[in-house]
Amino acid sequence: MQLATMAWRTLMRNKRRSVITAFSVAFGVLLSVTFTASGDYAYTNMINTSAVMGLGHLSVEHPDYQDTPTLDKRLLEAEAVRQRALQIPGVTAAQVRIMGQAMFAGGAKSVGGVFIAIDPAQETPAHNIFLRTLIAGQCFSLGEEHGVVVGARMAEKLNLRLGKKLVFTMTDTNGELVSELGRVSGIFKTGDDSVDGGVVLLPLALVRRGLGYEPTAASLVAIFLNDHRQAESVKGTLARFLARSKEITVLTWQESQADLAGLIGVDRLFSYLLQFLVGLVIAAGIMNTLLMSVMERQREFGIMMALGMMPGQVVRLVLLESCWLGILGLILGVVITTPWFLYMATVGLDFSAQIGEDYSAGGVLVDPVMKFRLYRESALCIAGAVFSLTLVAGIFPAFKAGRTTPVENLKQG
Amino acid sequence: MQILFFALRNFNRARTRTWITVGAMAFACAIMIFYASLLEGWLAGMEKNAVGMDLGEFQIHARGFRADPDLYKRIGGEENVLAQLGRQGFVAAPRLYASGLAAAGNASSGIELRGVDLAREPLVTALNAHVWRGQWLAQEDQAGVVVGRKLARILGLGVGDEVVVVAQAADGSTANELFRVRGILKSVAEGVDRSGFLMPSATFRRMMIVPHGVHQIVVKRQIPAEDLNRATTRLARLLPNHEVRNWRQLQPVLARLFEMSDISLVIMLLITYAAVGILTLNALLMSVFERIPEFGVMKALGFSPWGLFAMIVAESMFQVTVAAFLALAVGLPLSLYFSSHPIDFSGFVQSSSTIAGVALDAKWYCVVTMNSVVLPILFLYLVAGLAILYPALKAAMLKPLAAIHHR
Repeated sequence: MQLATMAWRTLMRNKRRSVITAFSVAFGVLLSVTFTASGDYAYTNMINTSAVMGLGHLSVEHPDYQDTPTLDKRLLEAEAVRQRALQIPGVTAAQVRIMGQAMFAGGAKSVGGVFIAIDPAQETPAHNIFLRTLIAGQCFSLGEEHGVVVGARMAEKLNLRLGKKLVFTMTDTNGELVSELGRVSGIFKTGDDSVDGGVVLLPLALVRRGLGYEPTAASLVAIFLNDHRQAESVKGTLARFLARSKEITVLTWQESQADLAGLIGVDRLFSYLLQFLVGLVIAAGIMNTLLMSVMERQREFGIMMALGMMPGQVVRLVLLESCWLGILGLILGVVITTPWFLYMATVGLDFSAQIGEDYSAGGVLVDPVMKFRLYRESALCIAGAVFSLTLVAGIFPAFKAGRTTPVENLKQG
Repeated sequence: MQILFFALRNFNRARTRTWITVGAMAFACAIMIFYASLLEGWLAGMEKNAVGMDLGEFQIHARGFRADPDLYKRIGGEENVLAQLGRQGFVAAPRLYASGLAAAGNASSGIELRGVDLAREPLVTALNAHVWRGQWLAQEDQAGVVVGRKLARILGLGVGDEVVVVAQAADGSTANELFRVRGILKSVAEGVDRSGFLMPSATFRRMMIVPHGVHQIVVKRQIPAEDLNRATTRLARLLPNHEVRNWRQLQPVLARLFEMSDISLVIMLLITYAAVGILTLNALLMSVFERIPEFGVMKALGFSPWGLFAMIVAESMFQVTVAAFLALAVGLPLSLYFSSHPIDFSGFVQSSSTIAGVALDAKWYCVVTMNSVVLPILFLYLVAGLAILYPALKAAMLKPLAAIHHR
């Protein structure tokens, strides 16, 4: 306790130097929060966007559907799986969907694309990006058997307007080509050309009938969570529920959207690496300060040791100084970071003029507004890392202080 | 001269402190040289994948084809156009496009049929060398096709598998033909990966009944140094009845991404060097404050305030120069090493990951450019120059008497 007081007093003897050093630690906190929080926000955003583009945070499907997503691979009891999933805490929605490839024709032209067959009674704009970005018309209702919702780019390519006919051709469970007729009830525009030109929403009942599916069958059940970080635990619970069912598998978004998970992984790795490197530069600064103050106090240490202080206590004294510096730096860091964080968490920086609103990564649209969000574990991680870095920076000066003998130290004065 | 001599001598006085400061500056600068080279490499890779694989530097279409692709909107007299382009110093390859449906086993998928000129395509893009499995198209194998990677997955196709294509031919009849997969492409771009179905142009013409004309001519500059916009204007003047676009116009998102990365490099430099700046400031402050009595004596002996200021600035600039040389000695070989030995991210990045629709290479090379080396060093001088101002001014304005008694 006495050592801690002494360490604090030493720091306060050269206030300017201590404050500048603490400020460099605080700057490290600011930087780390900026990197991590912008990442946490952007990743959460991308994961959620990718989820509402079709597969959800978790998808329950036929074990072979992920490798070759053909329409003969289906879940027979999709509706029952949905009911099961909805009982798990953390699950906000579960949607039964058929997803597959089809050829779309309007008038004399045709294009290939992906269809998502949905149950209009279950779907909401909150869990379906296409319903959220409607620019004309609306989603087909339950009674509207032949309604379809197409992307703006496809509508342009096929000269489609509301009420126009759209013929779609797909391969049924027997490998035969089947065609069905729909009418455009809505047009969406997400901003991503390949999505707006290649995705069509169809009524689940119509597609089931066309493909010859059983009344409760579907390609997958897309499950949405409160927080994407719960994906693994909900997967575990769901897998236990479904343990007895055959030909069924649960995939987290990392497994079903491996492109995106990979991109996020690399981005996060780079961010950590950069934070670590900047941390090393800051640590060098702290070491420099402590080393200086140790060198200046050689005579003082000599007197202390002559009065009976053990070398170990001197080492501890200097380590405690770096500890105080770390605490001071963290407090200062919180003070300077909070206003910046609050601004970025609520308002954010709008980069839409620079990168536009149609920038995608891993097939997912990226929000052009940079905002902050910090997971609790990230915040703890930053605090822990900054504090340990400060302590590590104190080790060399501490041992330097404890190594010399009292007589030599006294002579130096 | 005297000032420089003093500055040099002072460098060696508090050795540990000087070397820690120099070391931290050198470390940050070396890291930034490496980071900038990596960024340049990433950009070069993206540009190579986007432009060199599929897009080409310029594309020429018949008017209206881009807005509304149509089998009938073709560039006529293509032999003439190609010859004209050749005379003007451009390399060009024609392509044909149609949409159709491919079916294999129980799966089917919409596809974009592409007729490729086997002799000319390799002159403008490297698509022929970008085959993942199997082989590139061949003149003698007219029924052999090359397909995109995701399409192969969707249809469950492997090399040698048969695939049926149905499409509407130019005369209104239904074209229906059996092909064999000769090759599967590596990841190129979202569109090609998902629906690319490539065949020799002769096969395309016969199947789709398109004896003349082409849908697209992909053009490359013979002299890569020629300005992109100037070349675009030259092409547009040469072919006034056609639509001429360069890759920046064709892929505006990508072009913006490239512009953004210059800004992001500067931001990174500012952030990393802000830490260096604080460190330098602290180190210099310490060295100034512990020498206040000394400065007082110097001033009393007739050293002018500006002389003192210049000496302290020279001292720190000397440190920065040593740090810059150290950074070069470490950062440059490091970047050069990784320019021939790529960092392999294939454990992280899926082979089909894309950014702005362009395939992301799992192997990242460094590309060392003037920019990636000079910019970090320039910024280091700038930041250290700013950090030294306060301590140097403080020293310059000392009152000699008070300074001598300072303790």
